[in-house]
Amino acid sequence: MRRSKRRRRSQGSVEMNLAAMLDMAFQLLSFFILTFRPAPIEGQLSLNLPPPVPIVKQDAQPKENNGGEAGELVGLDTLHLQVMANDRGGVKQVILEANPVVQGEMNDQNIQRLDRELRRIFGTKMIAFDRIQIAVERRVRYGELMKVIDVCTRQKTPDGQQMRKISFTELGAGGAAAGQAP
Amino acid sequence: MSEMNSERAEPNLTPLLDLVFQLITFFMLVINFKGAAMDMSLKLPILGSARPLDRQGKLEPMLLNIDAEGEVHSFGQLVEIEPFVTKEARLLKQQLAVLGTPATGDFPVGVIIRADRAVPFHLLNHVIEVCQKNGYRQFSLSAMTRQETR
Repeated sequence: MRRSKRRRRSQGSVEMNLAAMLDMAFQLLSFFILTFRPAPIEGQLSLNLPPPVPIVKQDAQPKENNGGEAGELVGLDTLHLQVMANDRGGVKQVILEANPVVQGEMNDQNIQRLDRELRRIFGTKMIAFDRIQIAVERRVRYGELMKVIDVCTRQKTPDGQQMRKISFTELGAGGAAAGQAP
Repeated sequence: MSEMNSERAEPNLTPLLDLVFQLITFFMLVINFKGAAMDMSLKLPILGSARPLDRQGKLEPMLLNIDAEGEVHSFGQLVEIEPFVTKEARLLKQQLAVLGTPATGDFPVGVIIRADRAVPFHLLNHVIEVCQKNGYRQFSLSAMTRQETR
């Protein structure tokens, strides 16, 4: 009887004291709960923003007869957009190369209209635009401008890439873009 | 003998510890260290086509928060845009030189702009111009991919 008791004691299971580990684990848990901040549902519009260039029309050069389509031009040019503001800082008008294409706020209908116009221009092979220059009235709110930028970035450059090259200039009160050549 | 008789209630802590470790693992996986650089009070524009930034390269882009008044914050601190960007650009040049890719023209590292949707264009444009003057060309404009429900 004595022997068996001794054996039982010597073979007894080792029990770790988990309380200390639990304390530590709770401390870690408290830290993570207190510092927890869920990541926002955020995305980015990646752009290449070179400084604006003066408005000077480049003459597109006809492609040499080395297999290119007849009438296809290779001169790269800058497409000019103007964004005019209303009193509330929204978009009043978007002018595409001197032609007003959007009147009023950038709602879904106007966004589609601008997209359609840009697609038509980028679809033509006569002029290959490689950048868009947007002259924006100073009051236009960033949120509204982003809708215009978004439409611009949906267009494709002549090499099939998404349009990423966009420049901004500021339109003065009279509609003249600052820092641009006449 | 009396010690042996006094019963000690020892709860089994193992399942509790398991649970706590699982919770710790969860919080470790979802922790967002970059949140410190972001000003969460900003109301970003909503744009369905905005995509998470696909960052190549090892260098961190410069993150600028612009509030509705046009004030620029970085890591929770209000900063003067011109000296701040100039200093960052100088540090970046040094970093690039150490990495063996000295910046000859434009920086290969971009700027992330988190601007409030109400900020007027001229204030935003000023920040962009300062960055351009210092050699930055790659910009990422932040937007919410959908309306936040709070």
